[in-house]
Amino acid sequence: MSARDAEPPTDGAIVARALARSYPGGLRAVDGVDLHVDAGEIYGFLGPNGAGKSTTVRILTTLLRPTEGRAWVAGHDVVTQAGTVRRSIGVALQEAALDPLMTGTELLRLQGALHGLRRREAEVRTRELLERVELVDAAERRLGTYSGGMRRRLDLALALVHRPRVLFLDEPTTGLDPASRAALWREVRSLNDDGTTVFLTTQYLEEAEQLADRVGIIDRGKIVAEGTPDDLKSHVGEPALHVELVDPSRAGEARAALAAHGECSDRRGGGLVLRAANGARAIAPVIRTLDEAGIEVDAVEVETPTLDDVFLAVTGHTATEVEQDGAEAPA
Amino acid sequence: MGARVNGRVVAALAARAIRVQFRRAQFLIPAFMLPLVLLAVIASGTSAARGLPQFPDTGAYVGFVVGGTLMQGALLAGLTAGIALAGDIEGGFFDRLLTAPVQRVSIVLGRVAAACALGTVQGIVFLGVAFLFGARYSGGVAGVGVAITLGALTAGSLAGLACAIALRTGSLSLLQNLFPLTFVLLFTAPAFFPRELLNPTAEAIATYNPLAYIVEGIRAALFDDPGLGDSGLGLLVGAGLVLATTGLADLAMRRRLATQ
Repeated sequence: MSARDAEPPTDGAIVARALARSYPGGLRAVDGVDLHVDAGEIYGFLGPNGAGKSTTVRILTTLLRPTEGRAWVAGHDVVTQAGTVRRSIGVALQEAALDPLMTGTELLRLQGALHGLRRREAEVRTRELLERVELVDAAERRLGTYSGGMRRRLDLALALVHRPRVLFLDEPTTGLDPASRAALWREVRSLNDDGTTVFLTTQYLEEAEQLADRVGIIDRGKIVAEGTPDDLKSHVGEPALHVELVDPSRAGEARAALAAHGECSDRRGGGLVLRAANGARAIAPVIRTLDEAGIEVDAVEVETPTLDDVFLAVTGHTATEVEQDGAEAPA
Repeated sequence: MGARVNGRVVAALAARAIRVQFRRAQFLIPAFMLPLVLLAVIASGTSAARGLPQFPDTGAYVGFVVGGTLMQGALLAGLTAGIALAGDIEGGFFDRLLTAPVQRVSIVLGRVAAACALGTVQGIVFLGVAFLFGARYSGGVAGVGVAITLGALTAGSLAGLACAIALRTGSLSLLQNLFPLTFVLLFTAPAFFPRELLNPTAEAIATYNPLAYIVEGIRAALFDDPGLGDSGLGLLVGAGLVLATTGLADLAMRRRLATQ
Protein backbone atom coordinates (compact mmCIF):
# COMPACT_ATOMS: atom_id res chain seq x y z
CA MET A 1 0.00 0.00 0.00
CA SER A 2 1.49 3.38 -0.96
CA ALA A 3 1.45 6.42 1.30
CA ARG A 4 -1.33 7.84 -0.88
CA ASP A 5 -3.58 4.88 -0.15
CA ALA A 6 -2.90 5.00 3.57
CA GLU A 7 -5.76 5.43 5.99
CA PRO A 8 -5.93 8.88 7.57
CA PRO A 9 -4.58 9.02 11.11
CA THR A 10 -6.97 8.95 14.01
CA ASP A 11 -4.78 11.06 16.26
CA GLY A 12 -2.04 13.64 16.04
CA ALA A 13 -2.30 17.32 15.24
CA ILE A 14 0.20 17.02 12.39
CA VAL A 15 0.94 13.75 10.65
CA ALA A 16 3.06 13.21 7.57
CA ARG A 17 3.91 9.94 5.86
CA ALA A 18 6.68 9.71 3.29
CA LEU A 19 6.16 13.35 2.43
CA ALA A 20 8.23 14.50 -0.52
CA ARG A 21 8.52 17.49 -2.80
CA SER A 22 10.56 17.29 -6.01
CA TYR A 23 11.34 20.01 -8.51
CA PRO A 24 12.20 19.81 -12.22
CA GLY A 25 15.81 18.77 -12.54
CA GLY A 26 15.52 16.19 -9.81
CA LEU A 27 15.97 18.38 -6.74
CA ARG A 28 14.13 16.84 -3.77
CA ALA A 29 13.66 19.61 -1.26
CA VAL A 30 11.68 17.29 1.00
CA ASP A 31 12.60 13.64 0.73
CA GLY A 32 10.40 11.16 2.55
CA VAL A 33 9.54 13.02 5.76
CA ASP A 34 7.53 11.21 8.44
CA LEU A 35 6.09 13.32 11.23
CA HIS A 36 3.75 12.81 14.13
CA VAL A 37 3.08 15.84 16.32
CA ASP A 38 0.67 15.35 19.16
CA ALA A 39 -2.03 17.86 19.98
CA GLY A 40 -0.77 20.42 22.48
CA GLU A 41 2.88 19.77 21.70
CA ILE A 42 5.54 22.26 20.64
CA TYR A 43 7.54 20.57 17.92
CA GLY A 44 10.80 22.15 16.83
CA PHE A 45 11.95 21.55 13.28
CA LEU A 46 15.64 22.26 13.21
CA GLY A 47 18.03 22.53 10.29
CA PRO A 48 20.27 24.94 8.38
CA ASN A 49 19.19 27.07 5.44
CA GLY A 50 18.27 24.89 2.50
CA ALA A 51 17.50 21.80 4.58
CA GLY A 52 13.82 21.70 3.59
CA LYS A 53 12.20 23.28 6.65
CA SER A 54 10.28 26.00 4.87
CA THR A 55 9.25 23.68 2.04
CA THR A 56 7.84 21.25 4.60
CA VAL A 57 5.94 24.05 6.29
CA ARG A 58 4.56 25.27 2.97
CA ILE A 59 3.26 21.78 2.22
CA LEU A 60 1.67 21.43 5.65
CA THR A 61 0.04 24.86 5.34
CA THR A 62 -1.38 24.02 1.88
CA LEU A 63 0.79 26.50 -0.03
CA LEU A 64 2.57 23.71 -1.90
CA ARG A 65 1.41 20.30 -3.01
CA PRO A 66 3.57 17.34 -2.13
CA THR A 67 4.81 15.34 -5.09
CA GLU A 68 4.73 12.18 -2.99
CA GLY A 69 3.32 11.08 0.34
CA ARG A 70 0.49 12.50 2.38
CA ALA A 71 0.00 14.81 5.30
CA TRP A 72 -2.83 15.63 7.65
CA VAL A 73 -3.18 18.70 9.80
CA ALA A 74 -5.87 18.86 12.49
CA GLY A 75 -7.15 15.58 11.07
CA HIS A 76 -7.62 16.81 7.50
CA ASP A 77 -5.68 15.97 4.36
CA VAL A 78 -3.64 18.97 3.22
CA VAL A 79 -4.41 18.28 -0.46
CA THR A 80 -7.99 17.01 -0.59
CA GLN A 81 -9.29 19.00 2.40
CA ALA A 82 -7.12 22.09 2.06
CA GLY A 83 -9.91 24.54 2.86
CA THR A 84 -10.68 22.78 6.14
CA VAL A 85 -7.00 22.71 7.02
CA ARG A 86 -6.77 26.47 6.47
CA ARG A 87 -9.63 27.07 8.89
CA SER A 88 -7.72 25.18 11.59
CA ILE A 89 -4.27 26.64 11.21
CA GLY A 90 -2.50 29.89 11.87
CA VAL A 91 0.61 30.64 9.84
CA ALA A 92 3.51 33.03 10.34
CA LEU A 93 5.90 32.44 7.46
CA GLN A 94 9.61 33.11 7.34
CA GLU A 95 9.19 36.45 5.64
CA ALA A 96 6.59 38.46 7.54
CA ALA A 97 4.58 39.51 4.48
CA LEU A 98 2.91 42.69 5.62
CA ASP A 99 1.59 45.47 3.43
CA PRO A 100 3.69 48.51 4.46
CA LEU A 101 0.88 50.91 3.56
CA MET A 102 -1.65 49.32 5.89
CA THR A 103 -1.87 49.90 9.62
CA GLY A 104 -1.77 47.10 12.17
CA THR A 105 -5.45 47.55 12.94
CA GLU A 106 -6.44 47.46 9.27
CA LEU A 107 -4.50 44.29 8.62
CA LEU A 108 -5.91 42.52 11.66
CA ARG A 109 -9.43 43.47 10.60
CA LEU A 110 -8.75 42.21 7.08
CA GLN A 111 -7.43 38.94 8.47
CA GLY A 112 -10.56 38.63 10.56
CA ALA A 113 -12.72 39.14 7.49
CA LEU A 114 -10.75 36.54 5.55
CA HIS A 115 -11.40 34.03 8.33
CA GLY A 116 -15.12 34.71 8.39
CA LEU A 117 -15.32 36.84 11.52
CA ARG A 118 -18.18 39.32 11.58
CA ARG A 119 -17.23 42.97 11.84
CA ARG A 120 -17.88 43.37 15.57
CA GLU A 121 -16.18 40.10 16.39
CA ALA A 122 -13.17 41.10 14.30
CA GLU A 123 -13.04 44.46 16.08
CA VAL A 124 -13.01 42.84 19.53
CA ARG A 125 -10.46 40.26 18.49
CA THR A 126 -8.25 42.96 16.97
CA ARG A 127 -8.15 44.85 20.27
CA GLU A 128 -7.45 41.67 22.24
CA LEU A 129 -4.56 40.67 20.02
CA LEU A 130 -3.00 44.13 19.89
CA GLU A 131 -2.91 44.09 23.68
CA ARG A 132 -1.55 40.57 23.77
CA VAL A 133 1.38 41.37 21.47
CA GLU A 134 1.89 44.84 22.99
CA LEU A 135 1.23 46.81 19.82
CA VAL A 136 -1.65 48.98 21.01
CA ASP A 137 0.36 52.18 20.76
CA ALA A 138 1.54 51.35 17.24
CA ALA A 139 -1.79 50.01 15.99
CA GLU A 140 -2.67 53.03 13.85
CA ARG A 141 0.80 53.42 12.37
CA ARG A 142 1.60 52.09 8.94
CA LEU A 143 3.43 48.79 8.94
CA GLY A 144 6.31 50.27 6.98
CA THR A 145 7.30 52.13 10.16
CA TYR A 146 7.42 49.00 12.33
CA SER A 147 10.69 47.51 13.56
CA GLY A 148 11.56 43.87 12.84
CA GLY A 149 10.37 42.77 16.26
CA MET A 150 7.09 44.63 15.89
CA ARG A 151 6.50 43.07 12.48
CA ARG A 152 7.07 39.63 13.91
CA ARG A 153 4.69 40.28 16.82
CA LEU A 154 2.02 41.52 14.43
CA ASP A 155 2.59 38.49 12.22
CA LEU A 156 1.97 36.28 15.23
CA ALA A 157 -1.18 38.21 16.07
CA LEU A 158 -2.42 37.77 12.51
CA ALA A 159 -1.90 34.05 12.78
CA LEU A 160 -4.03 33.96 15.93
CA VAL A 161 -7.06 35.97 14.78
CA HIS A 162 -9.27 32.93 14.34
CA ARG A 163 -7.97 30.99 17.37
CA PRO A 164 -6.33 28.20 15.38
CA ARG A 165 -5.77 24.75 16.81
CA VAL A 166 -2.39 24.43 15.13
CA LEU A 167 0.12 27.23 14.72
CA PHE A 168 2.97 27.16 12.22
CA LEU A 169 5.89 29.48 12.93
CA ASP A 170 8.58 29.51 10.26
CA GLU A 171 11.81 30.86 11.81
CA PRO A 172 9.91 33.38 13.90
CA THR A 173 12.91 34.95 15.63
CA THR A 174 15.45 35.11 12.81
CA GLY A 175 16.91 38.60 12.74
CA LEU A 176 15.43 39.66 16.08
CA ASP A 177 17.39 41.14 18.97
CA PRO A 178 17.59 39.08 22.18
CA ALA A 179 14.85 41.03 23.96
CA SER A 180 12.41 40.61 21.07
CA ARG A 181 13.32 36.97 20.79
CA ALA A 182 12.67 36.37 24.48
CA ALA A 183 9.32 38.17 24.22
CA LEU A 184 8.27 35.98 21.32
CA TRP A 185 9.32 32.85 23.19
CA ARG A 186 7.16 33.89 26.14
CA GLU A 187 4.22 34.36 23.83
CA VAL A 188 4.70 30.97 22.19
CA ARG A 189 4.82 29.28 25.59
CA SER A 190 1.68 31.12 26.63
CA LEU A 191 -0.13 29.98 23.49
CA ASN A 192 0.91 26.43 24.11
CA ASP A 193 -0.31 26.66 27.70
CA ASP A 194 -3.71 27.55 26.20
CA GLY A 195 -3.64 24.30 24.25
CA THR A 196 -2.37 25.40 20.84
CA THR A 197 -0.14 22.93 19.01
CA VAL A 198 2.94 24.73 17.71
CA PHE A 199 5.12 23.62 14.81
CA LEU A 200 8.21 25.76 14.92
CA THR A 201 11.06 25.81 12.42
CA THR A 202 14.37 27.27 13.50
CA GLN A 203 18.08 27.37 12.78
CA TYR A 204 18.88 27.89 16.44
CA LEU A 205 19.45 24.96 18.75
CA GLU A 206 18.96 27.25 21.73
CA GLU A 207 15.49 28.20 20.47
CA ALA A 208 14.57 24.56 20.05
CA GLU A 209 15.90 23.82 23.53
CA GLN A 210 13.98 26.69 25.08
CA LEU A 211 10.63 25.97 23.48
CA ALA A 212 10.26 22.53 22.03
CA ASP A 213 8.95 19.40 23.70
CA ARG A 214 10.49 17.43 20.86
CA VAL A 215 12.81 18.36 18.02
CA GLY A 216 13.26 16.91 14.57
CA ILE A 217 16.47 17.63 12.71
CA ILE A 218 16.15 17.88 8.95
CA ASP A 219 19.12 17.70 6.63
CA ARG A 220 18.91 17.79 2.83
CA GLY A 221 15.22 17.00 2.91
CA LYS A 222 15.31 14.09 5.33
CA ILE A 223 14.71 13.87 9.06
CA VAL A 224 17.98 12.55 10.43
CA ALA A 225 17.25 12.66 14.15
CA GLU A 226 14.27 13.21 16.37
CA GLY A 227 13.76 13.41 20.10
CA THR A 228 13.77 15.71 23.07
CA PRO A 229 16.49 18.38 23.13
CA ASP A 230 18.34 16.47 25.85
CA ASP A 231 18.20 13.29 23.75
CA LEU A 232 19.72 15.08 20.80
CA LYS A 233 22.48 16.70 22.82
CA SER A 234 23.41 13.32 24.23
CA HIS A 235 24.44 12.38 20.68
CA VAL A 236 27.45 14.64 21.09
CA GLY A 237 28.17 13.84 24.71
CA GLU A 238 28.50 16.16 27.62
CA PRO A 239 29.64 19.78 27.48
CA ALA A 240 33.41 20.27 27.23
CA LEU A 241 35.49 22.17 29.79
CA HIS A 242 38.21 24.44 28.37
CA VAL A 243 40.94 24.92 30.99
CA GLU A 244 43.59 27.60 30.65
CA LEU A 245 46.67 27.34 32.86
CA VAL A 246 48.71 30.18 34.28
CA ASP A 247 51.81 28.21 33.29
CA PRO A 248 51.11 26.50 29.92
CA SER A 249 54.33 24.48 30.20
CA ARG A 250 52.66 22.38 32.90
CA ALA A 251 49.97 21.13 30.51
CA GLY A 252 51.41 17.61 30.57
CA GLU A 253 51.20 17.43 34.34
CA ALA A 254 47.69 18.83 34.29
CA ARG A 255 46.62 16.27 31.71
CA ALA A 256 47.88 13.44 33.87
CA ALA A 257 46.19 14.86 36.97
CA LEU A 258 42.84 15.18 35.19
CA ALA A 259 42.85 11.70 33.63
CA ALA A 260 40.53 10.43 36.36
CA HIS A 261 37.89 13.04 35.45
CA GLY A 262 37.55 12.13 31.79
CA GLU A 263 39.13 12.34 28.38
CA CYS A 264 41.61 15.25 28.34
CA SER A 265 43.43 16.62 25.32
CA ASP A 266 45.46 19.63 24.34
CA ARG A 267 43.59 22.60 22.97
CA ARG A 268 44.76 24.47 19.91
CA GLY A 269 46.25 27.75 21.06
CA GLY A 270 47.10 26.43 24.52
CA GLY A 271 45.24 24.93 27.44
CA LEU A 272 43.30 21.72 27.76
CA VAL A 273 39.91 20.37 26.74
CA LEU A 274 38.25 17.97 29.14
CA ARG A 275 35.18 15.89 28.31
CA ALA A 276 33.98 14.84 31.71
CA ALA A 277 31.23 12.33 32.43
CA ASN A 278 29.32 14.86 34.56
CA GLY A 279 29.83 17.83 32.24
CA ALA A 280 29.70 21.30 33.77
CA ARG A 281 29.36 19.83 37.25
CA ALA A 282 32.98 18.75 36.94
CA ILE A 283 34.27 22.33 37.16
CA ALA A 284 34.72 22.39 40.94
CA PRO A 285 36.38 18.93 41.19
CA VAL A 286 38.69 19.82 38.26
CA ILE A 287 39.87 23.03 39.89
CA ARG A 288 40.33 21.19 43.19
CA THR A 289 42.42 18.46 41.51
CA LEU A 290 44.69 20.96 39.77
CA ASP A 291 45.02 22.98 42.96
CA GLU A 292 46.10 19.86 44.88
CA ALA A 293 48.70 19.23 42.16
CA GLY A 294 50.02 22.76 42.60
CA ILE A 295 48.92 23.80 39.11
CA GLU A 296 47.33 27.25 38.89
CA VAL A 297 44.21 27.69 36.76
CA ASP A 298 43.76 30.91 34.80
CA ALA A 299 40.26 30.26 33.43
CA VAL A 300 37.67 27.53 32.97
CA GLU A 301 35.05 27.82 30.23
CA VAL A 302 32.12 25.50 29.52
CA GLU A 303 31.43 24.79 25.85
CA THR A 304 27.89 23.53 25.18
CA PRO A 305 27.01 21.58 22.01
CA THR A 306 26.06 23.74 19.06
CA LEU A 307 23.94 22.96 16.05
CA ASP A 308 27.13 22.17 14.19
CA ASP A 309 28.07 19.64 16.88
CA VAL A 310 24.67 17.94 16.68
CA PHE A 311 24.77 18.01 12.90
CA LEU A 312 28.26 16.65 12.76
CA ALA A 313 27.30 13.84 15.10
CA VAL A 314 24.18 12.78 13.17
CA THR A 315 25.11 13.65 9.58
CA GLY A 316 28.88 13.59 9.38
CA HIS A 317 29.09 17.21 8.16
CA THR A 318 28.47 20.63 9.67
CA ALA A 319 25.46 22.82 9.07
CA THR A 320 27.80 25.51 7.69
CA GLU A 321 29.08 23.15 5.01
CA VAL A 322 25.48 22.43 3.95
CA GLU A 323 24.75 26.15 3.56
CA GLN A 324 27.83 26.64 1.42
CA ASP A 325 27.02 23.68 -0.81
CA GLY A 326 23.61 24.60 -2.12
CA ALA A 327 20.83 27.15 -2.18
CA GLU A 328 17.31 26.62 -0.82
CA ALA A 329 14.89 25.06 -3.29
CA PRO A 330 12.35 27.38 -4.89
CA ALA A 331 9.43 27.65 -2.49
CA MET B 1 -17.91 29.31 2.67
CA GLY B 2 -21.33 30.72 1.85
CA ALA B 3 -22.11 33.45 -0.67
CA ARG B 4 -22.69 36.05 2.04
CA VAL B 5 -19.32 35.36 3.65
CA ASN B 6 -17.68 35.39 0.23
CA GLY B 7 -19.25 38.77 -0.45
CA ARG B 8 -17.75 40.07 2.80
CA VAL B 9 -14.36 38.66 1.80
CA VAL B 10 -14.51 40.30 -1.64
CA ALA B 11 -15.60 43.58 -0.07
CA ALA B 12 -12.78 43.42 2.49
CA LEU B 13 -10.17 42.72 -0.19
CA ALA B 14 -11.57 45.46 -2.43
CA ALA B 15 -11.53 47.93 0.47
CA ARG B 16 -7.91 47.08 1.16
CA ALA B 17 -7.00 47.54 -2.51
CA ILE B 18 -8.69 50.94 -2.71
CA ARG B 19 -7.27 52.16 0.61
CA VAL B 20 -3.73 51.21 -0.37
CA GLN B 21 -4.11 52.61 -3.87
CA PHE B 22 -4.97 56.03 -2.52
CA ARG B 23 -1.88 55.89 -0.33
CA ARG B 24 0.37 55.37 -3.33
CA ALA B 25 1.09 58.59 -5.19
CA GLN B 26 2.66 56.67 -8.06
CA PHE B 27 -0.69 55.01 -8.72
CA LEU B 28 -2.82 58.11 -8.29
CA ILE B 29 -0.88 60.19 -10.77
CA PRO B 30 -1.43 57.94 -13.80
CA ALA B 31 -5.00 57.16 -12.74
CA PHE B 32 -6.12 60.80 -12.40
CA MET B 33 -3.54 63.34 -13.52
CA LEU B 34 -2.48 61.74 -16.79
CA PRO B 35 -6.01 61.45 -18.26
CA LEU B 36 -6.79 65.03 -17.25
CA VAL B 37 -3.58 66.28 -18.82
CA LEU B 38 -4.39 64.42 -22.04
CA LEU B 39 -7.93 65.79 -21.93
CA ALA B 40 -6.57 69.32 -21.71
CA VAL B 41 -4.05 68.73 -24.51
CA ILE B 42 -6.49 67.10 -26.91
CA ALA B 43 -9.40 69.42 -26.12
CA SER B 44 -7.28 72.47 -26.75
CA GLY B 45 -4.92 71.17 -29.43
CA THR B 46 -7.38 69.43 -31.76
CA SER B 47 -10.53 71.45 -31.25
CA ALA B 48 -10.44 72.44 -34.93
CA ALA B 49 -11.64 68.92 -35.68
CA ARG B 50 -15.12 70.11 -34.74
CA GLY B 51 -15.19 71.92 -38.04
CA LEU B 52 -14.88 68.72 -40.05
CA PRO B 53 -18.05 67.74 -41.94
CA GLN B 54 -18.65 64.41 -40.19
CA PHE B 55 -17.84 65.57 -36.70
CA PRO B 56 -20.92 65.11 -34.48
CA ASP B 57 -22.48 68.00 -32.60
CA THR B 58 -21.89 67.48 -28.88
CA GLY B 59 -21.71 71.10 -27.84
CA ALA B 60 -18.32 71.94 -26.30
CA TYR B 61 -15.50 69.88 -27.84
CA VAL B 62 -14.38 68.81 -24.36
CA GLY B 63 -17.72 67.00 -24.02
CA PHE B 64 -16.85 64.77 -26.96
CA VAL B 65 -13.30 64.13 -25.80
CA VAL B 66 -14.17 63.29 -22.17
CA GLY B 67 -15.46 59.88 -23.25
CA GLY B 68 -11.90 58.97 -24.24
CA THR B 69 -10.67 60.35 -20.93
CA LEU B 70 -13.01 58.03 -19.04
CA MET B 71 -11.64 55.13 -21.06
CA GLN B 72 -8.03 56.10 -20.48
CA GLY B 73 -8.49 56.45 -16.74
CA ALA B 74 -10.34 53.18 -16.57
CA LEU B 75 -7.62 51.32 -18.46
CA LEU B 76 -4.97 52.68 -16.14
CA ALA B 77 -7.07 51.83 -13.08
CA GLY B 78 -7.40 48.28 -14.35
CA LEU B 79 -3.70 47.97 -15.07
CA THR B 80 -2.78 49.15 -11.58
CA ALA B 81 -4.93 46.36 -10.14
CA GLY B 82 -2.69 43.86 -11.89
CA ILE B 83 0.44 45.71 -10.84
CA ALA B 84 -0.71 45.65 -7.23
CA LEU B 85 -1.45 41.92 -7.40
CA ALA B 86 1.96 41.25 -8.90
CA GLY B 87 3.42 43.27 -6.04
CA ASP B 88 1.55 41.07 -3.57
CA ILE B 89 2.90 37.94 -5.27
CA GLU B 90 6.49 39.16 -5.29
CA GLY B 91 6.27 40.55 -1.76
CA GLY B 92 4.70 37.44 -0.21
CA PHE B 93 1.38 39.00 0.79
CA PHE B 94 -0.27 36.71 -1.74
CA ASP B 95 0.83 33.72 0.37
CA ARG B 96 -0.93 35.28 3.35
CA LEU B 97 -4.14 35.41 1.32
CA LEU B 98 -3.66 31.83 0.16
CA THR B 99 -3.39 30.50 3.73
CA ALA B 100 -6.82 31.96 4.50
CA PRO B 101 -9.91 29.76 3.98
CA VAL B 102 -11.28 31.86 1.12
CA GLN B 103 -12.29 30.86 -2.38
CA ARG B 104 -9.35 31.66 -4.61
CA VAL B 105 -11.50 33.61 -7.06
CA SER B 106 -12.28 36.05 -4.23
CA ILE B 107 -8.73 37.35 -4.47
CA VAL B 108 -9.32 38.26 -8.12
CA LEU B 109 -12.85 39.54 -7.53
CA GLY B 110 -11.55 41.86 -4.82
CA ARG B 111 -9.15 43.44 -7.31
CA VAL B 112 -11.80 43.68 -10.04
CA ALA B 113 -14.31 45.24 -7.64
CA ALA B 114 -11.72 47.76 -6.47
CA ALA B 115 -10.93 48.70 -10.07
CA CYS B 116 -14.63 49.18 -10.79
CA ALA B 117 -14.91 51.42 -7.74
CA LEU B 118 -11.88 53.41 -8.82
CA GLY B 119 -13.32 53.67 -12.34
CA THR B 120 -16.50 55.07 -10.81
CA VAL B 121 -14.60 57.74 -8.88
CA GLN B 122 -12.63 58.59 -12.00
CA GLY B 123 -15.82 58.94 -14.01
CA ILE B 124 -17.27 61.38 -11.50
CA VAL B 125 -14.07 63.44 -11.44
CA PHE B 126 -13.48 63.53 -15.19
CA LEU B 127 -17.09 64.31 -16.11
CA GLY B 128 -17.10 66.96 -13.40
CA VAL B 129 -13.93 68.60 -14.69
CA ALA B 130 -15.24 68.55 -18.28
CA PHE B 131 -18.49 70.09 -17.03
CA LEU B 132 -16.48 72.90 -15.44
CA PHE B 133 -14.87 73.53 -18.83
CA GLY B 134 -18.12 73.70 -20.74
CA ALA B 135 -19.31 70.18 -21.40
CA ARG B 136 -23.06 69.78 -21.12
CA TYR B 137 -24.67 66.36 -20.91
CA SER B 138 -28.03 66.32 -22.62
CA GLY B 139 -28.42 62.70 -21.49
CA GLY B 140 -29.00 64.01 -17.98
CA VAL B 141 -28.32 62.20 -14.75
CA ALA B 142 -29.27 58.87 -16.26
CA GLY B 143 -26.88 59.35 -19.14
CA VAL B 144 -24.07 60.35 -16.81
CA GLY B 145 -24.84 57.29 -14.68
CA VAL B 146 -24.61 54.98 -17.69
CA ALA B 147 -21.35 56.62 -18.80
CA ILE B 148 -19.82 56.16 -15.36
CA THR B 149 -20.97 52.54 -15.30
CA LEU B 150 -19.33 51.92 -18.66
CA GLY B 151 -16.10 53.42 -17.34
CA ALA B 152 -16.29 51.21 -14.26
CA LEU B 153 -16.86 48.11 -16.39
CA THR B 154 -13.85 49.03 -18.53
CA ALA B 155 -11.70 49.34 -15.42
CA GLY B 156 -12.96 46.00 -14.16
CA SER B 157 -12.34 44.24 -17.45
CA LEU B 158 -8.75 45.41 -17.72
CA ALA B 159 -8.25 44.57 -14.05
CA GLY B 160 -9.26 41.00 -14.82
CA LEU B 161 -6.85 40.84 -17.72
CA ALA B 162 -4.02 42.43 -15.76
CA CYS B 163 -4.63 40.06 -12.83
CA ALA B 164 -4.51 37.12 -15.23
CA ILE B 165 -1.11 38.30 -16.47
CA ALA B 166 0.09 38.87 -12.90
CA LEU B 167 -0.97 35.39 -11.83
CA ARG B 168 0.51 33.78 -14.90
CA THR B 169 3.87 35.54 -14.67
CA GLY B 170 4.17 36.78 -11.07
CA SER B 171 6.24 39.61 -12.51
CA LEU B 172 5.76 43.15 -11.26
CA SER B 173 8.14 44.61 -13.84
CA LEU B 174 6.26 42.97 -16.72
CA LEU B 175 2.99 44.48 -15.56
CA GLN B 176 4.59 47.89 -15.22
CA ASN B 177 5.92 47.63 -18.78
CA LEU B 178 2.40 47.05 -20.10
CA PHE B 179 1.54 50.70 -19.48
CA PRO B 180 2.01 51.72 -23.17
CA LEU B 181 -0.43 48.98 -24.16
CA THR B 182 -3.25 51.04 -22.72
CA PHE B 183 -2.56 53.75 -25.31
CA VAL B 184 -2.60 51.18 -28.09
CA LEU B 185 -6.00 49.97 -26.91
CA LEU B 186 -7.21 53.53 -26.60
CA PHE B 187 -6.12 54.83 -29.98
CA THR B 188 -7.31 51.77 -31.87
CA ALA B 189 -10.76 52.58 -30.53
CA PRO B 190 -12.48 55.87 -31.57
CA ALA B 191 -11.69 57.27 -28.12
CA PHE B 192 -10.92 60.84 -29.17
CA PHE B 193 -12.24 60.98 -32.73
CA PRO B 194 -15.45 59.68 -34.31
CA ARG B 195 -15.08 56.35 -36.07
CA GLU B 196 -16.18 57.97 -39.35
CA LEU B 197 -13.09 60.19 -39.36
CA LEU B 198 -10.60 57.35 -38.89
CA ASN B 199 -8.70 56.07 -41.91
CA PRO B 200 -10.00 52.76 -43.30
CA THR B 201 -7.35 50.67 -41.55
CA ALA B 202 -7.95 52.25 -38.17
CA GLU B 203 -11.70 51.98 -38.69
CA ALA B 204 -11.35 48.27 -39.48
CA ILE B 205 -9.28 47.71 -36.35
CA ALA B 206 -11.83 49.64 -34.29
CA THR B 207 -14.54 47.26 -35.52
CA TYR B 208 -12.77 44.44 -33.68
CA ASN B 209 -11.78 46.45 -30.61
CA PRO B 210 -14.49 45.97 -27.95
CA LEU B 211 -13.47 49.25 -26.34
CA ALA B 212 -14.82 51.03 -29.45
CA TYR B 213 -18.36 49.98 -28.51
CA ILE B 214 -17.88 51.04 -24.93
CA VAL B 215 -16.57 54.53 -25.70
CA GLU B 216 -19.31 55.07 -28.29
CA GLY B 217 -21.81 53.87 -25.70
CA ILE B 218 -20.44 56.49 -23.29
CA ARG B 219 -20.98 59.26 -25.81
CA ALA B 220 -24.44 57.99 -26.74
CA ALA B 221 -25.44 58.01 -23.07
CA LEU B 222 -23.94 61.41 -22.25
CA PHE B 223 -25.65 63.13 -25.18
CA ASP B 224 -28.72 60.91 -25.52
CA ASP B 225 -27.85 60.46 -29.19
CA PRO B 226 -28.13 56.97 -30.75
CA GLY B 227 -26.20 58.31 -33.71
CA LEU B 228 -23.10 58.46 -31.50
CA GLY B 229 -23.29 54.81 -30.47
CA ASP B 230 -25.32 52.20 -28.66
CA SER B 231 -25.05 52.41 -24.85
CA GLY B 232 -26.95 49.14 -24.45
CA LEU B 233 -24.41 47.37 -26.64
CA GLY B 234 -21.64 49.11 -24.72
CA LEU B 235 -23.02 47.78 -21.42
CA LEU B 236 -23.28 44.29 -22.86
CA VAL B 237 -19.72 44.41 -24.18
CA GLY B 238 -18.45 45.85 -20.90
CA ALA B 239 -20.16 43.25 -18.77
CA GLY B 240 -19.01 40.51 -21.11
CA LEU B 241 -15.43 41.69 -20.92
CA VAL B 242 -15.51 41.75 -17.13
CA LEU B 243 -16.84 38.18 -17.03
CA ALA B 244 -14.38 36.95 -19.64
CA THR B 245 -11.27 38.52 -18.15
CA THR B 246 -12.24 37.57 -14.60
CA GLY B 247 -12.66 34.02 -15.84
CA LEU B 248 -9.24 34.24 -17.45
CA ALA B 249 -7.76 35.40 -14.17
CA ASP B 250 -9.46 32.57 -12.31
CA LEU B 251 -7.96 30.07 -14.76
CA ALA B 252 -4.55 31.64 -14.33
CA MET B 253 -4.96 31.35 -10.56
CA ARG B 254 -5.87 27.66 -10.75
CA ARG B 255 -2.95 26.97 -13.04
CA ARG B 256 -0.56 28.82 -10.75
CA LEU B 257 -1.70 26.89 -7.71
CA ALA B 258 -1.73 23.55 -9.51
CA THR B 259 1.81 23.94 -10.78
CA GLN B 260 3.34 25.25 -7.55
